Amino acid sequence: MTSSLPPVAITGIGSVSPYGPLAGTIPQNPIEPATLTNWKGNGERRAFLVPAFRAAEVVPGLKTRRLDRLSVWALVASSLALRDAGIDLNQVDRSRVAVVFATAFGCVELTEAFYLSAAANGWSGTDPITFPETLASAPASHVSMFHGLRGPNITVSNKYFAGESAMMQAAIMLRQRQADVGIVLAGDAVSRSMYSWYEEAGLLSQACYNSDPASEAEGFIPGEGVAALVMEPSEHIHARPDRRSYAVINSGRWAAGGQGAKIIREMLGGSVPSLTICSGNGAPCATSSTSALVREIGGDNPVILPQAFAQGLAGTGALFHLIAALSNRPVSGQAIFLATARDNGFAALLLELP
Amino acid sequence: MTDPHKTIVVTGVGVVSPYGIGLDRLQTGMLSGKCCLERTKDDVYPGFEGMTAKIRELPPLAEDLNARYSRTDQLAVMATQDAIANSDNSTFRESGIVMASTLGGLTEIDAGIAKDPAAWYRRPGGLLRAASYPFGHVADAVGEHFKICGPRCGISVACASGAVAIGLAANMLLEGAAPMMLAGGSDPLCPFTLSGFSALRALDPDPCTPFDQNRKGLNLGEGAAVLVLETLAAAEARDAKVLAVLHGWGITNDAFHPTAPQEEGSGLADCIGISMEMAKVSGDDIGYVNAHGTGTPLNDRAEANAYESAFRGRKRPIPVSSTKSYFGHCLGAAGALEAAITIMAIRSGALLPTLRLTNPIDSPGVEWLRGEVRRQPLPLAMSASSGFGGTNTVLIFGSGRA
Repeated sequence: MTSSLPPVAITGIGSVSPYGPLAGTIPQNPIEPATLTNWKGNGERRAFLVPAFRAAEVVPGLKTRRLDRLSVWALVASSLALRDAGIDLNQVDRSRVAVVFATAFGCVELTEAFYLSAAANGWSGTDPITFPETLASAPASHVSMFHGLRGPNITVSNKYFAGESAMMQAAIMLRQRQADVGIVLAGDAVSRSMYSWYEEAGLLSQACYNSDPASEAEGFIPGEGVAALVMEPSEHIHARPDRRSYAVINSGRWAAGGQGAKIIREMLGGSVPSLTICSGNGAPCATSSTSALVREIGGDNPVILPQAFAQGLAGTGALFHLIAALSNRPVSGQAIFLATARDNGFAALLLELP
Repeated sequence: MTDPHKTIVVTGVGVVSPYGIGLDRLQTGMLSGKCCLERTKDDVYPGFEGMTAKIRELPPLAEDLNARYSRTDQLAVMATQDAIANSDNSTFRESGIVMASTLGGLTEIDAGIAKDPAAWYRRPGGLLRAASYPFGHVADAVGEHFKICGPRCGISVACASGAVAIGLAANMLLEGAAPMMLAGGSDPLCPFTLSGFSALRALDPDPCTPFDQNRKGLNLGEGAAVLVLETLAAAEARDAKVLAVLHGWGITNDAFHPTAPQEEGSGLADCIGISMEMAKVSGDDIGYVNAHGTGTPLNDRAEANAYESAFRGRKRPIPVSSTKSYFGHCLGAAGALEAAITIMAIRSGALLPTLRLTNPIDSPGVEWLRGEVRRQPLPLAMSASSGFGGTNTVLIFGSGRA
């Protein structure tokens, strides 16, 4: 993104995670994976699961009948983020509010249910109620419907950088003045078919089967949840001094390959960030190729590593990593939010922390 | 004076449709009035009998690629190949990619996966086939196939997906996110969607009749389309041929219902207004609308209402047609295919009629194109897309240089 356009501030945070539904930042205490109880199978399997909760108790008036968990979480997380931002939608032009949702697997639980109806009844006997809710874009649509938001509504995916690309698409829309407020959401739900795929592909940590912490050396533990950010042009915040800004996004780039270090250095304009926040896709900064890039860019300045509970959220864990970092950042000033991929791909957002 | 750095142009169009590969085959087929919808029985799945538009001749990719790529991926790769080839483009490897699909790799999966996923994955090629499931995989497939290293983004916004991809790619160019963008959509025929629309009773058992008072529903087709987008400055710098200018685009949501459009078409009308404002044009400047026009009772009525509202005050009724009457609704590819058709109309000066439209919806502000192909200069035209979840997208294209 060029720097000639106005920067964008993160003004609200909401999430539904293994910590439950929360407005604002998330706790710093490590959380343990939970045992999966709803699938038949041999032995114990664990994942970072969202605990059951009553959505209407968190968001009064919210009706969730017939919705899958991902849509419910998106509705709750978006409501909590708007609440955290102090935005009263009755005071906002709702045609100027954009929703950008990032997901790797979409409504996979209902897709499984639709397949089960086909397996039971044949393709001629599938469930018409379930079908439209299998669309990956259904959660974002429900967010627009529930809040009455008539601005742009898009659902994005990217193997490694889904969350980051959602943030950047929203920032671009705000910078291009196609919206005044952006609600960025990212997340996925752990499903049986997804868990089994990871398992059969040999990608899971032994900690998925054994609660011994020493068994976490290789692989990852699947996670689930939806994180939400409210983003607004910084100039809006200046006009409302009572508003909090968690961070300001000054620029961002992502690419599938090429010269990440060179591009990030250009973004930094010769300065060294006071903090590097690592995102990641099952590859902690300290042990992956990211570490070299982090050292090259950030020198000896502090680094915040990815959160264990969000490592198993494929490309959609980025928002959780960012929220966790914003919950306990050690410094203010310029920070880089960085993720890399095996094929030299990268995503980087240049942030200003108040 | 137009800023060439902020003017988005189309320098390549790639198409895979039931007419074959390439815009020329699409144009020849559509101008001849050929309809690709065919009655099939037990073809897509046992028990299905109805109309579909299938791509009959699809050259195979290399064997190893077929193993890794879903049919959705393959269509996208072929459309991209076509787009790159006809844009005379050797600089595409730095491009960004925004690729839309509603299906992703669902074509590679069957109902057995839900009963016992572990056993399903242990079947030969099972893990690989399932790996193509995420809709974002299509952008990666295109990127990996052509070794493109710019930013990649998968898009899924129901039936407006392909048009949304083009709008977002244009946004990314304005922000300097990449020097060039490949944007479009891909969706094949698949038991999953055919069964779903059948369960919703949204399918016309006969060839669809968009905007007809007796319309009964939609037919499904398959295809992919990809546009090469760049700024006018970049196109001029490499002396590229400009096929069209993307003057304006807009994305809105009805915020109304999971599957039904807002009855008055207010979301689409707002979207038209936003895109015309960006393009700095009025309703009188638009010469043709390639409509979403699915043929479902609710969509077509709402869409007609949107045109009545958005073009109110226009001196003459707005010419509108639905080209889904030629090869059905290609879901996530539809918006991109119809963008290609709109560009084709501008470049050829040929406005395609809606096939089989005998008794149009009563809508005095709309001139429903039917019967013969209309020949006229077409400086500006619009493509409109909508979808489940209330999404609307409008693209305004113009001829030649800005």
